Amino acid sequence: MTPDNYALIILFAPVAAFTILGVCHPIRNRGALAGWIVSAATFATLVAAVSLLRFQWENPTHVFRHEFSWLVVNGKAMATVGWHIDGISAPMLVVVSMVALCVQIYSQGYLAHEPPSHRGRYFAWHALFVFAMQSLVMAPNLLQLFMGWELVGLCSYLLIGYYWRKGEAGKASVKAFWVTKFADSFLLLGLIVLVATTGSFDWNIPTGKALGDAGGAFALAGILLFVGAMGKAAQMPLHVWLPDAMAGPTPVSALLHAATMVAAGVYIVVRGMPVFAASTEVMHFICYVGAITAFIGGCLALLQDDIKKMLAFSTCSQLGYMMAALGANAVDAGYFHLTTHAFFKALLFLTAGSLIHAVHSNNMSDMGGLRKKMPLTFILYGIGAFALMGFPMLSGFFSKDLVLAALQKDGQTIPLILCLGGVLITATYMTKSFLSVFFGEAKSDAHESGGHMMIPMLALGVLSVAAGFGVEKFSAMAGAENPESWSQLLGHFVGLPAIGVGLMVVGMAIAVMRHRGARIGLPVAFNNWVLSRPVDRFYETAWRSGLLVFARMIAWVDRYIIDALMNLVAHVILNEADRSRKIQTGRIRDYVWYIAMGALVLAMIGIFGEQWAQLFGMGGGQ
Amino acid sequence: MTLDLTHWMLLSALMFSVGLMGLLTRKNAVALLLSVEVMANAVNLNLVAIGQHRGDETGQVMALFGIALTVAEVVVGLAIIILIHRLNKTIELDEISELSG
Amino acid sequence: MIGFTILGLILFVGSVQVVRCKDLVHGVLWLAMTLMTTAATFAYLDAGFVAGIQVLLYTGGIVILMLFAVMLTKRLDGASIRIDSDGWLRAGVVGFLFFAGLTAVILNSPMPAKGQIGEESLEKVGTLFLTRHLAAFEFLSILLLAAMIGAIVIARKKDA
Repeated sequence: MTPDNYALIILFAPVAAFTILGVCHPIRNRGALAGWIVSAATFATLVAAVSLLRFQWENPTHVFRHEFSWLVVNGKAMATVGWHIDGISAPMLVVVSMVALCVQIYSQGYLAHEPPSHRGRYFAWHALFVFAMQSLVMAPNLLQLFMGWELVGLCSYLLIGYYWRKGEAGKASVKAFWVTKFADSFLLLGLIVLVATTGSFDWNIPTGKALGDAGGAFALAGILLFVGAMGKAAQMPLHVWLPDAMAGPTPVSALLHAATMVAAGVYIVVRGMPVFAASTEVMHFICYVGAITAFIGGCLALLQDDIKKMLAFSTCSQLGYMMAALGANAVDAGYFHLTTHAFFKALLFLTAGSLIHAVHSNNMSDMGGLRKKMPLTFILYGIGAFALMGFPMLSGFFSKDLVLAALQKDGQTIPLILCLGGVLITATYMTKSFLSVFFGEAKSDAHESGGHMMIPMLALGVLSVAAGFGVEKFSAMAGAENPESWSQLLGHFVGLPAIGVGLMVVGMAIAVMRHRGARIGLPVAFNNWVLSRPVDRFYETAWRSGLLVFARMIAWVDRYIIDALMNLVAHVILNEADRSRKIQTGRIRDYVWYIAMGALVLAMIGIFGEQWAQLFGMGGGQ
Repeated sequence: MTLDLTHWMLLSALMFSVGLMGLLTRKNAVALLLSVEVMANAVNLNLVAIGQHRGDETGQVMALFGIALTVAEVVVGLAIIILIHRLNKTIELDEISELSG
Repeated sequence: MIGFTILGLILFVGSVQVVRCKDLVHGVLWLAMTLMTTAATFAYLDAGFVAGIQVLLYTGGIVILMLFAVMLTKRLDGASIRIDSDGWLRAGVVGFLFFAGLTAVILNSPMPAKGQIGEESLEKVGTLFLTRHLAAFEFLSILLLAAMIGAIVIARKKDA
């Protein structure tokens, strides 16, 4: 089996599943069967991706690429489609298929009580999503990446809106689509600038001296592309759609809005690093945006009672970490954190789903003392939470460590301070949630979830622990010059890593003290201000006073000027036609008169035509 | 001056113009047809004159055709006039305007 | 030349009277006279056959037809039909312009070469009808048939 074959399997197994489900609705309407078909396709994708990764593992810097020319301009293909397998895309392929498979199997259990036809529809969108995400990851140029990007946005809309019959999900899916589409328009502009400057959509742009005057154009392209990435990765201030997106089913939140789709925002920065790195201003911007989001996202997570919204803001914050690392020129750190985050965040969401399923409510205040009733969930949630907090030896520890080290090495002090603050706050809110859900007095009856849901969670739990040990290979694949193994990283356990762990402990302590009743926390006024959703309100005002006003102006022009012109033309024609009707008098004498006059005129032209033409200077011809 | 084709053609043109004036002024349907007859007659005269001048019998042939056609046209025209009279009780053309737009 | 002058004068006067006179029956009669004179002109031009046909069809046929039509459309009290006309001025202008234009063309165009009509001109006319103008001749017969049928259909009384 050549890498070509693997790539084709990765792309077309999900498409085949989607087509089958799309076309045969008897199969689709038997919900569980549809799910297994999609899972089989995803499993095939996973196997192929793992094979590709195994090869890449041994040869970290190898690139395998195959393209088909698509838009041919002046004999040269301006855009191509195909696949590009290297150290960056291979791990991501595995991550996506692994998490997708876990989520799909989990969904069999989570949605077991839904009508089969709804489930069939759900799994069909899953298949489409896997295809779209994989084609994004494997894209050989930014154009195919953009195609996958838009398609995953569509799947996000479709999957968030799964419960569309209850109004809230419909509104949330539209909001997600709008905000990301707004950001995507910037992305498109960035692509246009890029292609205008270099003539192709490839991210390998000339660097250094060869940049010359085009430096400004590349900086512009970089900023525009990053705004698009901000929308997808829910960075401030374009984060507003992510909490609302939690209205979708929990498995969807796990897959799209924790592990993969939002990761696409980070992925495009990783992939297109040459474009962004062309300008230090752009890199600083990315770093600051990431760090600010990391900190404020954490603060927002602290204030949430709904467990899914808390995890959503947590995702937001962690994506900020990744962006900060990328902005600090450390592709390996950001990318590694992306991978580990995918595993433990998906795990957290799935366990949260298990909890929600058990108590039939999203709010943590409705959960309590579930340690004894749902022991496996308790352990798994714990693993996920500690991994997120950066507990030593778990995967999150290594990845977060790399991020902080990168910030320090690049000399970004303020982002570093913000990220360290984020570590503290992350620890606080995760411990708080852990304590309030699993300790304390029992608020409701609950029981452990079924096998379909537990097995994927177990798998992700293992990965959350184990993934950290592959740090050296990851870094090598992501192109770092001096990749360090986990033992080496543990070796420099003084300085930054120690500070990180120390802050984590402080955060945990604060949460424990709060749980026991101590009154520590952010000021109430700040809490209330944040909970009033200032960013959303800003957008709403901008929409009402800005966009709508502008739109009304244009509508006025359209109705009273353009339409009026059309109506005028029609009116004039109708009037003239009406007046011309008077010629048809019905009287023969008038018609005879017309004929005679016409004949006379023609005769005159025929007789004197040439002389008149010469008189008026139109000579020539007979 | 000697008699030449020009004279015949001028005469024919004169008769045609007179017939045209009648066509444009007459209000009675039958009178209209009379004017048309005059015009057709002028044309036939022209044809014969030219043909005879050139020594080609085609002129006579065309004149015969012309006569036959004119006859056919008058026949149908008169039939229509009879029908109009039956329907409208008048053949003053100014009063017939049912096909007005 | 003299013949031309006399014939021309009669033709002119006849035409003018046809279009001018106030009594329809008189008009028809003036037309008859004009058509007869035209036949005479044809004979003067050595086109005897055409002259004969002219008398037969036009004067004999059409004029009779017109008289019938006039009689059918007369008022019941037997008064003769008075007709009037208007618009002489603009008709005059148009007619004059037409005549002027035609004259300009006639006087400025080169006349064709003069030829001679032989003695067997009638034979030649017949031959032409059946050789060169055969198709037109056939179509003409169909046309006449159509005109006949058409006239009958249009003018017949619808029986109750």
